[in-house]
Amino acid sequence: MDDIKVNQNPKLGSMDRPNSYIGRSLPRENAKKHLEGGGQFVDDLVLPRMLHVAFLRSPFAHAEIKSINVEEAKKSPGVFDVYTAKEIDEYCTPWVGTLGHLGEMRSPEQTPLAKKIARWQGEPIAVVIANNRAQAEDALELIEVDWEEKDAQVDMETALDDNAVVIHPELGSNLFWTRTVNQGDVNQAFETSHAVVQTTLDFARHTGVTLESRGIVADWNKSEGKITIYHNGQAPHMMQHIIAKHLEVNEGLVRIVSRDVGGSFGIKVHVYPDEMAVAAISKKLGRPIKFIADRLESFTTDIHARCHKISGKLGVDKEGKILAMEINDLSGIGPFSMYPRTSAIETNQVLNLSGAPYVIPNYKAVGTVVFQNKTPMCQYRAVGHPIAVAITEALIDKAANKIDIGLSEIRKKNFIPDNAYPNKTPSGVPLEDLSHEASMDKLLTMMNIQDIEKEKIANLDKNVLCGYGVISMCEVTNPSPLFYGVGGAHISSQDGASIRLEGSGAIHLSSSITEQGQGTEAIMKQIAADQLGVSMDSVRVTLGDTDATPYGGGTWASRGAGIGGEAVLKAARILKDNILDIAAAIMQTDKNSLDVENNTVIRKNGGEGITLQQLAETVYYRGHELPKGTNPELLATASFLIEGIPFVFTNSAMGCKVSIDQDTGIIKIDKFWAVEDCGTQINPKLVEEQIRGGVIQGIGGALFEECVYDDQGNMQNATMADYLVPMAYEMPDIIVDHVTTNSGRSIIGAKGAGEAGTGGAPAVIMNAVNNALKHHGTEVLSQPITPEKILRALGKI
Amino acid sequence: MKAPDFSYFEAQNIEDAIKYKSEDDEAVILAGGQSLLPALNMRLSSPSCLIDISKINNLNEIKIEGDFINIGALATHSDVMNNDLVHEKLPCLVDILKMVAHAAIRNKGTHGGSIAYGDPAAELPAFAVAMNAEIVLSGLSGQRIVNAKDFYLGLFETDLKSDEILIAIRYPLLDVNQHLIFDEVCRRHGDYAMAGLMAKVELDQSKINNLDLVYFATGDKPNVGQNTAKLVIDDGYDYEKLKKSLASEIDFAGDLNSSSEMKLHLATILINKILNKLER
Repeated sequence: MDDIKVNQNPKLGSMDRPNSYIGRSLPRENAKKHLEGGGQFVDDLVLPRMLHVAFLRSPFAHAEIKSINVEEAKKSPGVFDVYTAKEIDEYCTPWVGTLGHLGEMRSPEQTPLAKKIARWQGEPIAVVIANNRAQAEDALELIEVDWEEKDAQVDMETALDDNAVVIHPELGSNLFWTRTVNQGDVNQAFETSHAVVQTTLDFARHTGVTLESRGIVADWNKSEGKITIYHNGQAPHMMQHIIAKHLEVNEGLVRIVSRDVGGSFGIKVHVYPDEMAVAAISKKLGRPIKFIADRLESFTTDIHARCHKISGKLGVDKEGKILAMEINDLSGIGPFSMYPRTSAIETNQVLNLSGAPYVIPNYKAVGTVVFQNKTPMCQYRAVGHPIAVAITEALIDKAANKIDIGLSEIRKKNFIPDNAYPNKTPSGVPLEDLSHEASMDKLLTMMNIQDIEKEKIANLDKNVLCGYGVISMCEVTNPSPLFYGVGGAHISSQDGASIRLEGSGAIHLSSSITEQGQGTEAIMKQIAADQLGVSMDSVRVTLGDTDATPYGGGTWASRGAGIGGEAVLKAARILKDNILDIAAAIMQTDKNSLDVENNTVIRKNGGEGITLQQLAETVYYRGHELPKGTNPELLATASFLIEGIPFVFTNSAMGCKVSIDQDTGIIKIDKFWAVEDCGTQINPKLVEEQIRGGVIQGIGGALFEECVYDDQGNMQNATMADYLVPMAYEMPDIIVDHVTTNSGRSIIGAKGAGEAGTGGAPAVIMNAVNNALKHHGTEVLSQPITPEKILRALGKI
Repeated sequence: MKAPDFSYFEAQNIEDAIKYKSEDDEAVILAGGQSLLPALNMRLSSPSCLIDISKINNLNEIKIEGDFINIGALATHSDVMNNDLVHEKLPCLVDILKMVAHAAIRNKGTHGGSIAYGDPAAELPAFAVAMNAEIVLSGLSGQRIVNAKDFYLGLFETDLKSDEILIAIRYPLLDVNQHLIFDEVCRRHGDYAMAGLMAKVELDQSKINNLDLVYFATGDKPNVGQNTAKLVIDDGYDYEKLKKSLASEIDFAGDLNSSSEMKLHLATILINKILNKLER
């Protein structure tokens, strides 16, 4: 899509002015750096005296460590030492993955290395420290462990049975957390419903598959009492607190540096035992220690996500108006709740978000989260959304089919009207500034459903079936302190920006938001240059360093643009105000007659201005020339947080058309359409790539990705050859358009745009597939929808 | 994911490579490395030595020898796909190679490596069997030629002796009546197939005179559907009949992406796809 020509946010001023960058698809500079191989990732870092580690990981899902003998491993060439839990625990205190704001959560203490019992295949139990990774791996083979394999609780569906293997006997059962939401009276509403439909959906576990795997270099400087952690994470200040707390170091003496990061998707915002072990080892040895997860480790130790079984029921009246919705969700999270965000959030989001676009007067939702002997599960891109959207939209399609009305018609009948905000989700979460009606209308114009319907009918008796779907959804973005902070987590919901004019006239900007490849740096630069009236190339950006950036939350929950961007905007406006004050003093004129354009303070009525370089030189080098009492401050800092509501929601409408080959079961997505309302788009191309990238990950969940386990809890497909992610050939045309409803919570008006694709694509693909299969009286209700599932549904095998 | 220690020998000629290999049972041949190196990094094998044959001259030649097209073992998949002789004499191979992994892998992976490795899910071993190719092996006692049908013995097991190196594959040139038609069903482009079929068809006018069906990604090695091929010649495509026949002559082994039932079904419908292609 071209530049949007008019910025639809009056608070940001006209786009017909010099340096109006907000709303333009400008190329981003760091893409060039990465194409040229000039990035600096954790694994690029080489420090003097640095050692490398490799972890011995449990080969079993559940087993007791009767004894470990590391003596032979210690003698292996190049090995510095070998540690088990005993040595590491002296330098790192245990943690517990629970928070206080969502009701009782029960999860036991976790330590960097497992003691006595290993509870998932891949859990670290010993670590070899060596001159290089290969030598460390050689030594791993020499560690002798006397294992006693235990029965594993692999299946979440039997985890609460009487004869289940209780993974943490001290808890008495495998229940981690449960929540019930009850609004109105669903039972009574179902009784009075004209039609009631039900379904049960299964979502396989999958994972984030970042291009760059997790990595850390920890460098304890004994003489300074300071630890520097180079880490490819998303939330440096959160890690600063975690490291300080568990290594018992003064928090002010912990520095977290996150340089270039090759994708994160929420995978890298959690505390991993192996990374904590690396920090502990560095403190113990006083040497830099590097750990880079290899792909096998990524698959068995990066958090997994989804793993839900959800049943739902929807009651409608004769016209298709929804009277009640009820859902019951079960999720398995592995043996521990992840720290510090907990593994309750995905289920919590399912309960909060199901039915969110619609008026549903009676709503009941029950979520149950259990332990099992698989890799820990936690928040990954579009946390909970795919499940919430899929159950809602599957039920709505079923209701439409049952009372025989159109798929878009039933949705339009039930949307919370665009003019009825502020409003609430059926679960009671506040909503504002959304546009389901306008977005669906736009989607329908783009899709031309009549033509698709014709093609579908023409293909009914052919080998290749045609189907389509349309959905609407809400996306959680820009969270407030009510997300984590209120529960006791040291995770900032506020973000800061600091911006300065330097002696050369250059602008330096730093922000607590981080970059993982999505273009954070580019949009921050656009906002700063736009608001200051300077060229893009005069702005330099620093991110990802707790010693160099303002304090703040970092990048997760689609908060970079809406929260971090607003902080940049505010700081830039303060700096501009200071610049104009100084300029007015130098130019001996009224401040209101001045403005900044193209790096120059201009007189609005004409006449000679002064460049920012001249102004900065005067302030920094010849301050005596300034009138007495002039404030010489050319550094401005501002912060922003969302107040009063839990989240700023974004909404999307999506459609897709699929073809299904009845011989092979292969599903082809012919085309995908998305309409997103994320308020102000700072860089439309980057927004669209977020949506497209998100859709691709959603296609992964819907059709390809699954962490396959056997009955004993062994992961079967922990390689990139066997774990299928969609690649270029599997990516359809994705047509993206927008409706713009600015968020009233900020000047910039931006809502998040990072997760809708991943949240909505699985639902619309599943609906399209079942739309195609309907003629054959069958359906597929489990994701990923594999060719074999299709053929079984069609009775071909 | 770092390989265990091994020594490395860069062979300058085939004789050196054979000599070295005959002296060390634990040594393995390194050509393109596209299967071997991942296996090493995952520590699935720990050979004593890698004998690198990739620098040996002339082992990547593609030439016509009488009624054969001879592809040197070191010709990469990309070399083969871009070779004029192959385009002219064996164009079906170009289409087949498009389905082999992705460009980066095809730039390094070798024709001989794929044939010698004998992955039952790979296209080329089945192609060689269907084409009735001759596999040229060189060892201490000189060269010998093994027919591809006799070369594959079991799962990753071939007739290659411990002192031997595969140096070329000789494909008989097809007559005007002969066609090699292939198809496969994959979940993603470039992946190993859930099931694939190489069919060599000999036509008399429009009637099928002779048919060889060789499956890949179905069992422990390229699986030949001999009786099924006869049924096709006699009775044409009959799903149930052919499925029954295939079930009786091939031991379908399921994998992560498709069960044995799925493979049997796909193997059957692949015959129909091949016949449809033939009509076109």
